[in-house]
Amino acid sequence: MAMAIDNAFEVDFSSYSTTTTTTTTDDDLACTWNDWGSPVVDWDSLSSERDEFQDLIESMMDDGTGIELARVDHETSNSVSIDTMVADEESNREDFKGLRLVHLLIAAAEALTGANKSRELARVILVRLKELVSPNDGTNMERLAAYFTEALQGLLEGSGGGHGKHFITNGPHYHRDEHHQTDVLAAFQLLQDMSPYVKFGHFTANQAILEAVAHDRRIHIVDYDIMEGIQWASLMQALVSRKDGPPAPHLRITALSRSGSGRRSIGTIQETGRRLVAFAASIGQPFSFHQYRLDSDETFRPSAVKLVRGEALVINCMLHLPHFSYRAPDSVASFLTGAKTLDPRLVTLVEEEVGPIGDGGFVGRFMDSLHHYSAVYDSLEAGFPMQGRARALVERVFLGPRIAGSLTRIYRTRGEEESCPWSEWLAAVGFKPVNISFANHCQAKLLLGLFNDGYSVEELANNRLVLGWKSRRLLSASIWTSPDSDF
Amino acid sequence: MFQPKKPSTMNSHDRAMCVQGDSGLVLTTDPKPRLRWTVELHERFVDAVTQLGGPDKATPKTIMRVMGVKGLTLYHLKSHLQKFRLGKQPHKEFNDHSIKDDLQRNAASSSGMIARSMNDNSHMVDATRMQMEVQRRIHEQLEVQRHLQLRIEAQGKYMQSILEKACQTLAGENMAAGGYKGMGNQGVPDMGAMKDFGPLNFPPFQDLNIYGGDQLDLQQNMDRPSLDAFMPNNDNICLGKKRASPYSGSGKSPLIWSDELRLQDLGTAASCLGPQDDPFKSEQIQIAPPSIDRSTDLDPISDIYEAKPVLSGDGMGDKKYEASPKLERPSPRRAPLQADRMNPMINSGSVAQGRNSPYG
Repeated sequence: MAMAIDNAFEVDFSSYSTTTTTTTTDDDLACTWNDWGSPVVDWDSLSSERDEFQDLIESMMDDGTGIELARVDHETSNSVSIDTMVADEESNREDFKGLRLVHLLIAAAEALTGANKSRELARVILVRLKELVSPNDGTNMERLAAYFTEALQGLLEGSGGGHGKHFITNGPHYHRDEHHQTDVLAAFQLLQDMSPYVKFGHFTANQAILEAVAHDRRIHIVDYDIMEGIQWASLMQALVSRKDGPPAPHLRITALSRSGSGRRSIGTIQETGRRLVAFAASIGQPFSFHQYRLDSDETFRPSAVKLVRGEALVINCMLHLPHFSYRAPDSVASFLTGAKTLDPRLVTLVEEEVGPIGDGGFVGRFMDSLHHYSAVYDSLEAGFPMQGRARALVERVFLGPRIAGSLTRIYRTRGEEESCPWSEWLAAVGFKPVNISFANHCQAKLLLGLFNDGYSVEELANNRLVLGWKSRRLLSASIWTSPDSDF
Repeated sequence: MFQPKKPSTMNSHDRAMCVQGDSGLVLTTDPKPRLRWTVELHERFVDAVTQLGGPDKATPKTIMRVMGVKGLTLYHLKSHLQKFRLGKQPHKEFNDHSIKDDLQRNAASSSGMIARSMNDNSHMVDATRMQMEVQRRIHEQLEVQRHLQLRIEAQGKYMQSILEKACQTLAGENMAAGGYKGMGNQGVPDMGAMKDFGPLNFPPFQDLNIYGGDQLDLQQNMDRPSLDAFMPNNDNICLGKKRASPYSGSGKSPLIWSDELRLQDLGTAASCLGPQDDPFKSEQIQIAPPSIDRSTDLDPISDIYEAKPVLSGDGMGDKKYEASPKLERPSPRRAPLQADRMNPMINSGSVAQGRNSPYG
């Protein structure tokens, strides 16, 4: 028995750098891990007896390091690569630990939801994980694992992203509203400076807007989630300085506001409005600001939006930027459906890219999520290796809560929700794609050039730019127009 | 010289042209089929060449990779690129006037011209047109680059207004209106304190050599006037390395943040804002032309690589920026990378000296 387990591990570690497929005990949980530097656990060898699963997990948790495991020499022929591994063992030690964390996380996710559920097993694995990780220091993988562990713990306790006392102080189960406002601001600033995510979304949308309204005197933007309003500063600047087209067109922004409490409350929207008005005045941009109050069920009634004849209407829908709050699919759908009846000149959409889902269920989505966020973590680290504490703040304020939130959602829906990207949804309901211009594409490339290597922008369709880290797609911006428009 | 990919489709048409499958290539059905450079295909070609840094840097192989059009062979690209390069010669020999005239005449409908000229027999004319197309693209890129910089600055400015507000709130200042008079003169120096914790860094645009370094000099010249007029506080523009950009090299770096992640700690800076109660007023101050020369005491270039561990003086950037066009960079593609490599060390060095921070 013990030998069998060691055997499985050796396969695992010796091939850690190749791209492979993880086959889980249940066929329907199979998941492809491209470019992960993928861990392989030979679950198949254990599938005959479920009891061995428990043993395997325990052995994973008992062993001190992966390297010791890999060194165990035995009769299998798979030990070819051991020598080379030992050679640069120092540099690999972290990788081994990272891999072990990934295995443990996946094992915990499976224990929690797989065909052979064992909450007790999940609990044991999570206890061990907590000993291994900390959200505040350690490698990227360790910090990331800390948030995933925390999120799983929440699911195990049935709190569903709830409010139990957890080992991460001020941890991911706290909504960002509960962070000190200054932390949020500092993290927001850092996020913008450290990564192109926020600017990519804003600038791509804005460039499309500028091109669509190049000859208009009056522009009206209905903004689904205005947040701090930072997107509009650069648009105003561009409008003021545009050379062709009527000078200084009037800009009107209608921001949706939610009746809920917290940081996104009316007060904050008003604050954003005041700030935008002042900013516009300071650069000489004619501007007015309105609010559209959503009911608590977030149903969007287009007839309640005040429109003025002759103004170019733009629908702006920023979703899932790293610092944004989660918005329920029903709310987004209601907004976009309603927007369609307003016959907008342009619809700008920015959303998170989710990997192909297949029928992976919870574990499949869990792994996709792990992959996604590890790409985000890595992108931040690659650009700012020295700024560990700054990154930790961004992670604690934005990414941790995001991880907890998304795991909770895929847990509740067993991975079946959110299968359709909004861009596909827009196409399905009849919006027409608008081509991304050369200038817009060029701008995105230039923007990424300002950050560290590793980011990429690809034109996935004529109307869609995707921002990626290494080969993982993270964020996409697409532009559309109303079905009746001849724009 | 050419491998027909789908012979069946070619036979099914009796006309001279046929479209080849999904790649959209148009080929003649001659015994020796030739590729027809449609406008779309040519556009993609020009895009690719531009991306690769111009006709002199692009090779048929790299173009083929960038274009990614199925069925397009090295042979096709080689001859097309040759035409393309040929176009460069007349430009070099003609005097400025003829080039300008040409440019003007064709600017309006260059793609239309290319469409017509594509099938002309005059290769020279073709080549000239293509060359102008590249020229146009490069100009467009420069425009985009300039706009991007202004947009980043605008966002930074706006972000600053948020931070200022937060600081003032923290400092417990009363946000009541009134008392703005007389703040104009005091405002400007005080802004310096704010800037130190608002790392609104302007990225180093001169290293944007995504499309090759040729246009860098031109770009710097283009950027300067508009920038100076628009943003007086270009303190943060750091000359420098493409990569570690917003931070490395300049004194304003996340080093500041990493040790003082909370605005509270910076509250002192905010509280010395004096009568500047309203963040939007200070916004306006920023926009006014710079009235104070803060750069006199600074050594322009050494600052760039000097490790400034802490909240250093804010004026350094002005001088730096002015000095920037004079900086010679013989090999724009290489130099930034080298500088880049150094940055982490510089940063870590400054961290080690400046603070006893444990991270790294």
